[in-house]
Amino acid sequence: MAESTKSEEKKTVSRRTFLTGGGAVLAAGTLAVVAPAAAEVTPSSEAKVSYPASTGYIVYDSRLCWGCQSCMFACSMSHQGEANPTLSRIQIIRDAPSFTTYPLDIEMAVCRQCVTPLCVQNCPVGAAHVDTEHGNIRRIDQKKCIGCKKCIQSCPQRPHRTVWNPYLHKSSKCDLCVDAPYWSKTGGPDGEPACVTICPSRALKLVHDTPPQADVAGYDVNLAPPPPPPGPPRRPGTPPPAPQAAPKS
Amino acid sequence: MPGGYTGKILRVNLTTKTVGTIDTAKYEDFGGGHGIGSAVFFDLAGDQLPFDAFDPRNPIIMMASPFSGTFTPGSGRCEVQGLGPMLYPIEWFGHSNFGGRFTAQLKFAGWDGIVVEGSSDDPVWINIVNDKVKIESAKDLWGMDTWETQQDISRRVSPKLRYGEWAELAENCFTTQVPAVVCCGPAGEAKSRIASLLHGPGSQAALCGFGGVFGAKKLKAISAIGTGSVPIADPKAFMDTRLWFRQFLWDVDDPYQAEKYEGRAYYLISGQPSGGNTLNRQLPLTPARAAACASCPRGCRMRLATGDSNESICAGTLAINIPGSPKLSRLGSDVMQKCGLSHWHLQTVQRYVQSLYQRGILGKGKKIDTDLPVDQVGSLGYIDLLLRKIAARQGIGDDLAEGCARFAEKYGLYKEDLASGALPLTYWGTSDHYDARVETEWGFGSLLGERDLMLHMMANYPLHWMALSGSPYLTAEDAAKLFTDAMVPYQGDALMVDYSPAGTYSDSRVKQVAWVKHYEKFWVGAGGFCGWRWPMCITNNTPDHRGPTPHAEPRFWNAVTGKKLTFAEGMEIGHKIYTLDRSIWVLQGRHRNMEVFPDYIYDQKSRANILPMYQDGKWSYETGEGRTLDRAKVEEFKTKFYRFEGYNSDNGYPTRDTLEKTGLRKVADLLQSRNRLG
Repeated sequence: MAESTKSEEKKTVSRRTFLTGGGAVLAAGTLAVVAPAAAEVTPSSEAKVSYPASTGYIVYDSRLCWGCQSCMFACSMSHQGEANPTLSRIQIIRDAPSFTTYPLDIEMAVCRQCVTPLCVQNCPVGAAHVDTEHGNIRRIDQKKCIGCKKCIQSCPQRPHRTVWNPYLHKSSKCDLCVDAPYWSKTGGPDGEPACVTICPSRALKLVHDTPPQADVAGYDVNLAPPPPPPGPPRRPGTPPPAPQAAPKS
Repeated sequence: MPGGYTGKILRVNLTTKTVGTIDTAKYEDFGGGHGIGSAVFFDLAGDQLPFDAFDPRNPIIMMASPFSGTFTPGSGRCEVQGLGPMLYPIEWFGHSNFGGRFTAQLKFAGWDGIVVEGSSDDPVWINIVNDKVKIESAKDLWGMDTWETQQDISRRVSPKLRYGEWAELAENCFTTQVPAVVCCGPAGEAKSRIASLLHGPGSQAALCGFGGVFGAKKLKAISAIGTGSVPIADPKAFMDTRLWFRQFLWDVDDPYQAEKYEGRAYYLISGQPSGGNTLNRQLPLTPARAAACASCPRGCRMRLATGDSNESICAGTLAINIPGSPKLSRLGSDVMQKCGLSHWHLQTVQRYVQSLYQRGILGKGKKIDTDLPVDQVGSLGYIDLLLRKIAARQGIGDDLAEGCARFAEKYGLYKEDLASGALPLTYWGTSDHYDARVETEWGFGSLLGERDLMLHMMANYPLHWMALSGSPYLTAEDAAKLFTDAMVPYQGDALMVDYSPAGTYSDSRVKQVAWVKHYEKFWVGAGGFCGWRWPMCITNNTPDHRGPTPHAEPRFWNAVTGKKLTFAEGMEIGHKIYTLDRSIWVLQGRHRNMEVFPDYIYDQKSRANILPMYQDGKWSYETGEGRTLDRAKVEEFKTKFYRFEGYNSDNGYPTRDTLEKTGLRKVADLLQSRNRLG
């Protein structure tokens, strides 16, 4: 694990600081809803919190993505039982209006299971939480969610990885398929999340080491297979080439 | 409604500028996609036939399927139907389709399809955002190419959308996606009969000339974006089926898997399988990614760092060939896509123009007088000029915009050149493709349809291209046995894929052609499947080489819809849809006497087209080179086929008995009223 990641993992943050700062950007109407619940969970003024790192992360290779969006459909179907890209906790965005060229034509938006999860820090009711029973993944308890959207507003990624469910008026986020009632395989940090399993181009991968947090590069990694060996193409039906180490990104 | 359907079809009348709906439930027995499209067409326009393709009465129908918006593999197609101005000698009720994201977004917006009737006086486009549908002015879009149009409309639909962020389309409706737009280009605006519809940079509905129908209606584009759900009857069964299906996919970590899957129909890029875009083979390769339609695990398209020919595929990249320069060829392809011209017809246009030039018929001061610099064939400048002239109907482009058949007819060349093969329009004004004299189910399947079959996965890739690879993964005997084992309900007759001379007109061939037409109409047409993907009767990715067909289709169908359809029942619906299509053609004037190949198919020898053949008691792969078809035997074959399908063999008309058995009584009544019941 990179040094920078380790130090970031140990970082402690004042939740009050975040709550105060976050509240300033809320609309008045939202505050009216949030305030009573938030009061119940606001930690003591000097409380410092840190979060154990998740033991599972989904990394991706945006150059390998075909843009088929199967991961999005797999996500919403596994969790909600219906196909709906709006509900998907992974977003694949393609065909920018300007018909952008490769490699900028596709953007993969995957929840980072942040070492410092602002969605968790800013949730006023504890719905967004660290699930210590499932490898410390960052989850949202739908039963507790009051729909204040603070987790969405505080997500530092663009597009935000916390997802608004307009039907339930609640937020959701990637849980590595720990709670995916329509997915037959076991999810979680040691399991098989639906998007990773389904992706036909293997552009997604579940890893256990915490990726560097500083920028996108830590998650957008090289997952390409080894290049073909030099020489003429292998004839169909012959054995595959000997494995080679994947080039570094 | 069962799962997979949103329950309503959008109905837009451009003459009255009104928007309404059609209940999908009324047409549920037709499955979806092509089946529902045919039934809607019959109800709206059947009793008014015949009329012309550019008549406002010609509804253009764009249907999704129950699979659209789910991630059933290879189900991202949009079926387009209506009278096709490209087709000849009659503008048959035809179909074309295109891939991409359109049907998925249409379903998320809450619509199972779109029917556009009438025609507008001024240019318009249709803006679909969930259940909000507006007919917008396209005055300032008219004249734009297809790429500019899509980009402009995307900005109009989502003015607040910043790429890579969530946008609130409407109150409480969020998306990160950009609208899916399908449009015609300048060629369509000029009512060219060879105009295509384009979605994205390269997803083209190439056949039938529906771009010209858009133009005749003054319809520039349709945009769809939605934030709703596609209901799935049994999502867990669906996910389990999708997991099960993975065994049939190639291993993307072993790029050479792609080649052995179906021979050399695939090419490698960035260590990944891709296919069709053959124009990125010049070393060093242009950096690129494989690209797929929504829901497809095949990724047969490409997106290049240079941006040229993005997502164009197969004929979309082969139509324009600048010898020695993939780069210039790709740029030529882009001109074609921007103009909105049919890639499948342009190949014939170029060959025929060159042929006429070489024969001294076309050129400056010649019978066909043109300043087109045909001596510069092979240059990008020539291609650019030719395409733009056609799109704008300038000079000779005005004649060529009518399509090769009508172009030749104008100059009195059609009959002679069709007979000789100089004008290779084998099937109803659409171009020669795989050799009808050897790959006979392709030939018969097209002749007994309304245009080139264009369904590679029936037997073309799995058998022909596998054998062409030079080292097929199955012997001819095993390939024939395994392939036909999957051809329910006619399974077990290996001679269905015997391409020897003895098999050309056999009873087994009759069953194979019927199977092709029924699969085409239901699983591909009604299911929105891709003809490059389905069916999958054999594969090199399973130990026993059996593909997912015929098990996957009903598994996915039933998981999505909640029904208990068997594969064979789906094929019966396919027969019903084919019978309905055929009835519409009969109302337009179809008779068995018209269903004949051009003379060159009977009189000139075939190209090599390697396939399994059963000769002298043994199976082997043979080329079939040097054959011709026999006129009398073709007629005998047709007679057997009509009887097999329940049609009158004297005229090819469906009988009342067949129509009533398939639930098409009102069709029988209309045919009877026109004295055209079989």
